[in-house]
Amino acid sequence: MTSEATATRTVTLEVFRYHPERDDAPSFQSYEVPYREEWVVLDALNWLKDEVDGTLSYRWSCRMGVCGSCGMMVNGRPRLTCNAFLREFMPGPIRVEPLRGFPVERDMVTVLDDFMGKLTDVKPWMIREQEQPVEEGEYRQTPSQLADFKQFSMCINCMLCYAACPVYEHEDEFIGPAALALAQRYNLDSRDQGNAQRQELIWSDEGIWDCTFVGECSAVCPKHVDPAGAIQQAKVEATNSFFLSFLPFTPPGMGR
Amino acid sequence: MPGPLPRQKSNTWWNQRWAYRIVLLRELSSVAVAAYVVLLLLLLVSQVREGEGAFASHVDVLTSPLLWIVHLVILAFAQLHSSTWFALTPKALPLKLGGRRVPDALITAGAYGAWLAVSAVVLVIVLVVA
Ligand code: SF4
Ligand code: FES
Repeated sequence: MTSEATATRTVTLEVFRYHPERDDAPSFQSYEVPYREEWVVLDALNWLKDEVDGTLSYRWSCRMGVCGSCGMMVNGRPRLTCNAFLREFMPGPIRVEPLRGFPVERDMVTVLDDFMGKLTDVKPWMIREQEQPVEEGEYRQTPSQLADFKQFSMCINCMLCYAACPVYEHEDEFIGPAALALAQRYNLDSRDQGNAQRQELIWSDEGIWDCTFVGECSAVCPKHVDPAGAIQQAKVEATNSFFLSFLPFTPPGMGR
Repeated sequence: MPGPLPRQKSNTWWNQRWAYRIVLLRELSSVAVAAYVVLLLLLLVSQVREGEGAFASHVDVLTSPLLWIVHLVILAFAQLHSSTWFALTPKALPLKLGGRRVPDALITAGAYGAWLAVSAVVLVIVLVVA
């Protein structure tokens, strides 16, 4: 193929449009976008916004799969659009929609309040009963202790896992995959002592027990966090602790 | 001014991807397994209450062509139940050896190995008793 032919090749983007002050209902608008081998869906959206329609609204920042703000449904699956090459979807059309399960502010911009609130509720930060004085140095950790939670610490809060989760879609109260994985990330951290503070919420019906282990959260996660794994591990812990609570003594290694 | 579009809930989510359909079948498979357990239990009860003759006629029913098909369907569900469970085991029960995580495939393989071993024991018992 000559470079000229490459330049003139196009692909159809079917883009979700909704501007509350203008539209009664959402609709899809089709655009022809130049096809480039090295373009991702976000490049195509940026081209549209620059060249065709400046009112097109969506979030993005880093363009390298780190900030977690460019998540959208691409052909029905939650994707980071900076990480979804046009060539994966050729010959098209490529359907771009806001992340599923969230209210829509306009176009692909979703309302994040629910997720942000739930994230704060699980207290995803280091909790110490007593801070160690600075003179005593840093909290040390072995590679094995790090391995316990490292995977769960890779989350970029992109919410793709929420868009893939049918339980979150249907249960308003469900805390959801990423927030539960982040709770687990701190619970499993040998330096953290906040397990008891997180427990009531995490082990409640809105927490891990709402999860039916569909597993799609882990399948769509761009950072291989495996939130489904985190939730199942928490279920095993909660179950163990329930049965162990009937024992008159605390078995070694089980006290937290 | 009108506000944001409220979040949508779809009743057909389970039919939108193969991954979702399989999850639904996996959840349903427990019904098939439970139904079979109840069937066998009823058989046992009738044998205890009515003696060998009743048992023999039940076995006739169980080996009829229709029940063959039922058996195959239940077997397929049981296979789905076990294989999906084994595939998910490493997620729920990660193992660490010498400070490193055991690869998921190894945990799944171990589950299959244990399954084979138990099946072999059952086979031996059945053959010896028969
Ligand atoms: S767990 Fe994965 S998919 Fe979910 S928010 Fe974090 S990085 Fe995104
Ligand atoms: S733009 Fe930052 S993750 Fe895609």
